[in-house]
Amino acid sequence: MPRQAYDQALAIAPDALRAPWTRRARDLVLLILALAALVGMAIDLELAPGALMTGFGKLGRFLGEMVPPSSGGQSVRILKALAETLAMAFAGTVIAAVVALPLGVIGAKTVVANPALHFAFRRFLDIFRGVPALVWALILVSAFGLGPFAGVVALALADIPNLAKLFSEALENSDPKPIEGVRSAGASPLAVMRFGLAPQFAPVATSQTLFFLEGNFRNAGVLGIVGAGGIGFELDERIRIFAFDEVAFIILLYMVAVACLDTLSRALRNRLA
Amino acid sequence: MTTAVETFERDRRRMLIRQRTQAALGLAIFTVLLLVSFQRSQFFGSDIGGDPLGRMADFLQRMNPGLKPELLLEDRQTRGSLHSWFYALPIWLRAAWQTVEMAILATALGSVLALGASFLTAQNLMPFAPVRFVVRRILEAIRTLPDLIMALILVAAFGVGPLAGVLTLTISTLGGLGKLFAEINEEIDPRQLEALQAAGAGPLKKIRYGVMPQVLPNYASYALIRLEGNLAGAAALGIVGAGGIGLELQRAITYTEFDTYLAILLIIIAMIFLIDLFSEAVRHRLIGLEKA
Repeated sequence: MPRQAYDQALAIAPDALRAPWTRRARDLVLLILALAALVGMAIDLELAPGALMTGFGKLGRFLGEMVPPSSGGQSVRILKALAETLAMAFAGTVIAAVVALPLGVIGAKTVVANPALHFAFRRFLDIFRGVPALVWALILVSAFGLGPFAGVVALALADIPNLAKLFSEALENSDPKPIEGVRSAGASPLAVMRFGLAPQFAPVATSQTLFFLEGNFRNAGVLGIVGAGGIGFELDERIRIFAFDEVAFIILLYMVAVACLDTLSRALRNRLA
Repeated sequence: MTTAVETFERDRRRMLIRQRTQAALGLAIFTVLLLVSFQRSQFFGSDIGGDPLGRMADFLQRMNPGLKPELLLEDRQTRGSLHSWFYALPIWLRAAWQTVEMAILATALGSVLALGASFLTAQNLMPFAPVRFVVRRILEAIRTLPDLIMALILVAAFGVGPLAGVLTLTISTLGGLGKLFAEINEEIDPRQLEALQAAGAGPLKKIRYGVMPQVLPNYASYALIRLEGNLAGAAALGIVGAGGIGLELQRAITYTEFDTYLAILLIIIAMIFLIDLFSEAVRHRLIGLEKA
């Protein structure tokens, strides 16, 4: 901007071009404080630059060993583990949806009208909403023993509060007019549910459940690390013995499987919408 | 000659038949998948025995810390007091704080990286198509790879400790936020950019004065949501050796102290709850600022 035009503009609207120095000083101080806090946290966590350097060196070596990927002659075993992971994700999602459905109905404002009860129930679900599946899996493996069963229950436990919340929101957002219409035609409560509510609710709920299936397939892949079966177990085993060509093979296979399931699920969801 | 009624009836019958076949087929596929899944995941009948409910009850029993109302405030040695249940509270709180620090650092670093990446992938800011394509594919690859698998490899490379956790979450934040930020960038009002262009501003000035003021509130709000996710992620990452409260969970399991596990789980839940409240409050303020 030419100097003269700038001076003119400054004369007309000084605030627009230059914030008062108090505000600029405050912003600067806040920025410095934030940076200092971050550096303090890094120091507290003992994140040493030296460790970072050696780590990157090792990581580079690992990545080098990943090419070319190799199945290590165990492709059948790996494919079986992948199928087991998919089975865990599917079973976990179905169980979660079946359990979440009644919980979602109870949590819907339109069903349980008492605000105190509604609030208490929602908060109760909120408490468990943040707990990751792996945290459940770790303790369930101790309780139920090694194997995919613990993984299925862990996935279901992690999903139930989240799905229940989404289901209740979907119920609350459903349009009351078709329901009133069916009811005014003299339909029984069951018929009201079937023809007034279900056509609105089912596509939304199915779509959300499919979305969770995608997420669960990603999560199920790592539950094996704590002994809950599937591809994660195979992966963990090979990382422990630094067989990175086989690690790369499994990861690539898994990523392709994830992408396939995502595409399939997205196609189904688009049909529903 | 067919009447309109006959045509209607015929078409309706066809439609119903098609709908019902589709529904039946879908149901059949679903049932088969479900049965195969339950079978493959050993949900029924396996070495865990035929009594899952009994095992569940036993498991819940072992999680019970055995608090006694009259002994609640006694010291650590008394079985049944709060102190003996939360016997290592200072250590756990310290580990929980480390987890929070990991999440905050990773969110901050990841957001800054995502900011850079988002300008490289936004159609209206990066005219050079191959760069957009490459950066987008990289972000996609990061999003497909589950965090914990990345963490396993990074723990192998960087050793057990928070460093591997912070790096994992930083990379995964870059992947997630990079995409969202780019979407925000593409939705900005182009007129302000045009005005700057007309005044002769370079690419950096255009970003600073044309883009930033429009997108910062949205960025911050996404980054805060991500912080909530990263906190839960950081808690889980500890289980595979990436530092923080997850390590304590792992330790409790190693010593089969199920009541301790419950205590640490409660701390994790409280931690996530507090950060959610904080993030929600800040986000609502940001939205308020935007409207004002």
